[in-house]
Amino acid sequence: MAALAACLVACTSANAETIKFGGILPLTGPGALIGTAEMRGVQFAVDQANAKGGIHGQQVEVQFEDNQAKPDQSVLSFNKLTDLTHVSVIFTGYSGPTLAMAPLATRKKVLLVNAGAQADALAKASPYLINTLPTIGGEIEVLSKYLTGDGKKKAAIMFENDAAGMSGRDDYLRFFPEAGGTILAQEATQFGQTDFRPALLKLADAKPDVMLVAITAGLLQMAQEYKQLDLKFTVAGTTFFADPATIADPSSSGFVHTQLHIDAPPDLAAQFKAKYGADMEFFAKQYYNAAQIVLATLDKVLEDKQPVTGETMHDTLLKIGKFQGLIPLEFKTNTASVPLDINVMRDGKDVLLKEMKLQ
Amino acid sequence: MLALQLLATGLVTGCALGVVAISFSLVYATTKIFHVAHAGIYTLGGYLAWSLVMSGIPMPVAVAISVGACAALGALIQSQLYARLERRRATHLVVLIASLGALAVIQNIIAAVYTPNILQFPLQWSSRMVSVGVVRMNYTQLLTIVISLIAYVGTMLFAHRTILGKRIRAVASNPMLADITRLQPQTVYVYVIAIASALVCLPGILVPLDLGLQPYNGVTPLLTATIAMIAGGVGSITGAFVLAIVIAELQNLSLLVMPGEWSIGVTFFIFVIFMLFRPTGLFTAR
Repeated sequence: MAALAACLVACTSANAETIKFGGILPLTGPGALIGTAEMRGVQFAVDQANAKGGIHGQQVEVQFEDNQAKPDQSVLSFNKLTDLTHVSVIFTGYSGPTLAMAPLATRKKVLLVNAGAQADALAKASPYLINTLPTIGGEIEVLSKYLTGDGKKKAAIMFENDAAGMSGRDDYLRFFPEAGGTILAQEATQFGQTDFRPALLKLADAKPDVMLVAITAGLLQMAQEYKQLDLKFTVAGTTFFADPATIADPSSSGFVHTQLHIDAPPDLAAQFKAKYGADMEFFAKQYYNAAQIVLATLDKVLEDKQPVTGETMHDTLLKIGKFQGLIPLEFKTNTASVPLDINVMRDGKDVLLKEMKLQ
Repeated sequence: MLALQLLATGLVTGCALGVVAISFSLVYATTKIFHVAHAGIYTLGGYLAWSLVMSGIPMPVAVAISVGACAALGALIQSQLYARLERRRATHLVVLIASLGALAVIQNIIAAVYTPNILQFPLQWSSRMVSVGVVRMNYTQLLTIVISLIAYVGTMLFAHRTILGKRIRAVASNPMLADITRLQPQTVYVYVIAIASALVCLPGILVPLDLGLQPYNGVTPLLTATIAMIAGGVGSITGAFVLAIVIAELQNLSLLVMPGEWSIGVTFFIFVIFMLFRPTGLFTAR
């Protein structure tokens, strides 16, 4: 009887069409550590759903493409996934690549799901772009208030000369003075750069209390060079600082940063570690959560017997509005609002300093 | 304090670039080949040393093996690629494209084998700091200055005091006459590229020892080194080395008066103006 039931399930599964989604993430290059964690988060959620029999009996498959965090490569991958594989949903990360794909998503009505990038421009880049985390402006507003309240009122800015970095720089220039602080100097760096010494030295010469950072790659090298130069100011940043290698390195001790609040239940984190041999870090949790949102949306689309297209997925997701995954999320617009922490890196770990609420 | 520290950082960068410049100058002045694949050999040297260190081989031995391997690869490129093209009377443009192809192959193999992720040498001593007055440097930076100066002096002595060095200069000066007098230019070309490849392997290891390895990080140093070679006077070892340091210092010190994103553009603008007034370069080749 059991064998017959198993056969029936297997036969049904084999006949059901597999639903394909896409993922365009940096799996190699300076952003690979984060991109790999993001990929694992999505895959972990999808594997769990498939192991439970899929969504309405249909298996889900995610085809990942490596964009090396490059906008041009992302566009090529986007066209490949939409024109050849005909995916309706694509998971994305990093601001530059996501902004490059956003107009294509609008034109082709493909749902882009971003759970990692935070440039302010992402909020209005495309109606088909769903951000499961707030843009960087909100975080910087909270961080600025915390730092000035902590007596750090003179700041210098180090920013990456790209969409995410310049957006961060503009937000620091706006919110830090609004919180009662003064910006003394600013220096640009390039994505993938590893020699930060000249920029660090120039910023140090302005004698700031704190260096506000908006870089998405090379954070570990920056931290090591900061330590080697024996600089005394505090280093502060946003969720971009959630780089496991940097947190684990002693040179980053004392770095303060905002961190979107997201926790995984211990048994889930243990399963993740058993599967990948790595801790379920911030970006893995973020993309696990984003995949759960997409799977819940897919469940509703199939329940309503609608075709699985970017349009139906987009409309249904916003119609559902509220999701309870690893964190409660609400979509009043296409960008979610979530809780926020202030963390400090200490002894190779990210330690909570203060819980905040990000509106 | 800032100016001194920037000066020191510029000196480190300049010395490393200087060795790239003198090695490229050796090749270009002798063979007249724009050997772009040199950037690939620069990168490969670092990755080879990293692999050897990761497998437990002591750093000095890893450096020696990497230098030897780079020299062998350089000789192979000359004997199996450039020499074949010359026998078929290929134009300089064809040789340049072949060199670009060789660079792409080397970079892609490195990226495929090691991934394009930033890799770091697992050597604690390399980041230990030394303070000289207000200037702070790590061991790798000091080593870069010392080894680069030794490489420069060694290249000068080799070029002016050894029989092979004199033979290379003779071939560089007049290849046709060198051929008639049985100096065997084709053999000399193999020696030159092998020596240049061995030389460029040194900054190829020292720079990543400090800043990490990336597969595509060889092109920018080669571009800067090429400008140093031209501004210094093609064929002048001293010119290439000194101008590389000057360029690096200008890029660093320009931070005192302008934002960093302008420093490269402004530095090279100064050199464009300089070349308008002295198109043969600062030093005359001898």
